[in-house]
Amino acid sequence: MSLTRRQFMKRAGVVTAGSLAGPRLIGNPFVSEASANTIGDRYQVTLFLDGGNDGLNTVIPLSNEAGFRTAYETFRQTPGSGGIRINPGEEFVPSSPMIDPGTGTALGLHPGLQALGSLYDAGKLAIIQGTGYPDYSLSHETSRNRWQRADPTAPSPQPGSGWLGRHLGQFYGPSDAPAVSISSSIAQEQKTTDTNVLAISRLRSYGFPFDRTDSSDNADFQAAYSGLSIEAGNSPQPGLALIGNTSQATLQSTQDYPALHSTYEDERAGWSQLYDDLNSSCARDLKEIAKIIYGVENGAAGVNARFFRLRNGGYDTHADQGGATGQHYDLHEEVALALSLFCQEMTDLGVFGRMKIMVYSEFSRRLPQNSNGTYHGSQGPMFVIGDTVNGGVYGNHPNIVEEAMDDRENSVYSQDPGDAHRSTDFRDVYGTILKHHIGMDEASILTHVLPADVGPDAEYWTNPNFNMGYL
Amino acid sequence: MGDQNTIINEEELRHAIRRAAFDPSSKQMALALRKIGSMTRGGAADYLQSMKRKVVKARGKSLYDVHNKWMKHILKGKTSYADKQAIFWHDHFSVTASVVGREESTTRYISRLYSHCDGSFGDFLKAMNLDESMMRFLNTTENTDEEPNENYARELMELFAIGTHDENGNENYVQADVAQAARGFTGWRLRNNDSESYLSNSRHDFMADYPERGPKVLFDNAHGFPAGGVSFTQNGEGENEIGEIIDILLQHTDSDGRKTAARYVTRRLTEFYCYAGVDIAAIDEIIDDSGFDVTWDIPSLMRSLMCNDVFYATAVAAPFSADTKKSVKHPVDFIVGAMNVLAMKPKGKELEIARGDSDGRTRPIEEHSEAMGQTVLNPPSVFGWNWEEGWISGQNLLGRNRFCRDLTSKRYGGKFRPERLVDMGETDPGAIVDQVTNILGIQNQFTATERDELINYLTDGGNNPVINLNDEDVFDVKLCGLFYLTMSSSQYQVQ
Repeated sequence: MSLTRRQFMKRAGVVTAGSLAGPRLIGNPFVSEASANTIGDRYQVTLFLDGGNDGLNTVIPLSNEAGFRTAYETFRQTPGSGGIRINPGEEFVPSSPMIDPGTGTALGLHPGLQALGSLYDAGKLAIIQGTGYPDYSLSHETSRNRWQRADPTAPSPQPGSGWLGRHLGQFYGPSDAPAVSISSSIAQEQKTTDTNVLAISRLRSYGFPFDRTDSSDNADFQAAYSGLSIEAGNSPQPGLALIGNTSQATLQSTQDYPALHSTYEDERAGWSQLYDDLNSSCARDLKEIAKIIYGVENGAAGVNARFFRLRNGGYDTHADQGGATGQHYDLHEEVALALSLFCQEMTDLGVFGRMKIMVYSEFSRRLPQNSNGTYHGSQGPMFVIGDTVNGGVYGNHPNIVEEAMDDRENSVYSQDPGDAHRSTDFRDVYGTILKHHIGMDEASILTHVLPADVGPDAEYWTNPNFNMGYL
Repeated sequence: MGDQNTIINEEELRHAIRRAAFDPSSKQMALALRKIGSMTRGGAADYLQSMKRKVVKARGKSLYDVHNKWMKHILKGKTSYADKQAIFWHDHFSVTASVVGREESTTRYISRLYSHCDGSFGDFLKAMNLDESMMRFLNTTENTDEEPNENYARELMELFAIGTHDENGNENYVQADVAQAARGFTGWRLRNNDSESYLSNSRHDFMADYPERGPKVLFDNAHGFPAGGVSFTQNGEGENEIGEIIDILLQHTDSDGRKTAARYVTRRLTEFYCYAGVDIAAIDEIIDDSGFDVTWDIPSLMRSLMCNDVFYATAVAAPFSADTKKSVKHPVDFIVGAMNVLAMKPKGKELEIARGDSDGRTRPIEEHSEAMGQTVLNPPSVFGWNWEEGWISGQNLLGRNRFCRDLTSKRYGGKFRPERLVDMGETDPGAIVDQVTNILGIQNQFTATERDELINYLTDGGNNPVINLNDEDVFDVKLCGLFYLTMSSSQYQVQ
């Protein structure tokens, strides 16, 4: 059997894109439009702020309707002796109003986020405050897993699919590659064993290592590698099946993807330079995504990725967090400048109207600062960015007044409908994106991607709201 | 159910060496067969544990130097059982050296991994409390009476000693326990260029100074401890507290009344040496067999682990079922094992491997392992590496393939000498394939169809049914290619 297939490929001459694994779902232009529950010609980008971004110094209360400013100034000391407070006048206030819907508190952004100002003013940035999950964990690993698997009760990290991975696994098959992690490993939220997620750090060096001095054997080698991978992919043993499928998809992608780099560098040299000028890992990663999207838009063979994921690290600011300048400022500035440039380029490519960018972190940080930093905390703000986003502030600012703090000195996560400061479950944010951007229907989301909790309403997420309004 | 008296064959002995040390070269295998007392599970475990021990002193002017010294030691293969242990404990007590940025303390950190893996788990924990790299990495040096820093206390409970939740999903500690334990670690400092830790009393949290924080106690009416909790100042306040905290953590019991730390660390070890998702019954069996929850003796625990069925479970031959257990080789395992079986040695201080190109260039081991997703001394975070399926991504597999491609290059300065491994007189393609898969230790891991695929490659689709290995083209291209192809197969990525 394998002999026949191999001989067929040798006869066919060069093994070309798409020929290795039979017909591919997303290679077929009709399929994405035929399936109402898939993303179609749109794009989804997820940016993970790794380490626990300090939400209280990201979206900052400026006025005192609910006592938030007083609380903020109690918990966050003035700079000088390790203080991290953003003083009046130091925060960045966009021209469009930024008001906490629950309390009317005026809000400002960390000054490092200034580059996102024009997106906010243009109504293309939604801030969803107070997002989290019940009975929050202070462990990076546990909390990260809960967010990425959308499973708020997962006791500890276990192998398993991510929330986006479950969407992907539902609608794509073993011969598709609908998602890319800009990393050497696959991001947890994209994990699935039902379809392929590519992991690409840099397209430039992404290639299959064939014999470098004698190419005469390459076609034979490739055919045999492909044959073995497909066989392993069919193994009932789950580990071998995963490796086999990944090997096959990777072989395919090494034929299709590396050229995207040179094409982009040739045809988008000006934009490329702008990313390089920012000289940051976030900008470099977003540029890789831009290269792939440019390829997809121009019909590059075998390039069909619609879901992208990148991470920016360094948010675990236990010490030397800084206030209006310093470590946290640098992190915010890096992300804001890179995202702002990326959105400009996507607009230039005519893609921005079909894209949503979601930004999150595994938790916020504790309300009172320590000597010059902050500890792990609970719920925090998320950002959703896109041309068709209904910008503004969504969800309630967490109740940060001292009397309302829990015994871990954090704001209380609550789903109680009677609570003026009711929190937002991250599944509502995910669900809104799945429903209004990706196009899944609610029943399918609840069955396949975001199963509901069972628990008391006051604490747990029992009434999904996939119509948060920002999409 | 097997035990230490269960008879093993040669293949199973190789499996035991591969898992508890690294895939052995033919010389190492011959040595093992000569030295082993009896061909039993117990005999294999005793042989492995009798391998030479040495506390590694990897000194260097840069962290890269230190990394290379350590890897060079591991690649020498003289203390492979201890090396494998050290890799496990490095992941367990994960410190990212590039974040700490100090060569001398990194050298001592490596030495501690080697000296303590041979003793008691409790002593190991106590030693790591005051490891200079660890103290910097998890902010112990910034933990003061006025501003306690909880970072180390949290990771001590979550990652080093007991885990966040027990086997039944119940929480093992609450925030108050972390805050209390952090008090014990206040005031610890480093001096003499980070070579020495000491307690600065003026920065230590004494109860008399902070009456509002209450008595120094852990686990109030929970986990086998009485109402009001257990005090970690029974021998007075100050230097003794951090050791007492460890002693208390070892007495912590879970919702089944079992020692939480024993189950936690035994599960971690068993999953490292066997496969992910080992049944709790097997974990308890290994603990009970070794008395680990009483003695905390790591070598005894390891011996019981190596005599248990779970240790041999992944050795099963093809064809596989959905229930077959396999474990993905981690990059260091992959690299060291491959170099052993191909009898390859890296060159120079940077441990370089020829790239087999016409320019005669080389690539250092670190570049290879990094491309596969693992650089020793630089785990991504305090959680260590993401094991098993975490190693599987296209990018990482390409890194493995590139390593194998370079390693099996015969031309242009490549050091690969397959003529020393393979019977050059053999002309039967099936027999040649069997030799190659046998050298690589996966002869029984392929289905008939997969073996045919390898034969098909060697014979150019059946066009060359008789193989002349002495033909230069066949030798350079097909034989080297067959090694590369087999090493890039899914089967070779697991064990």
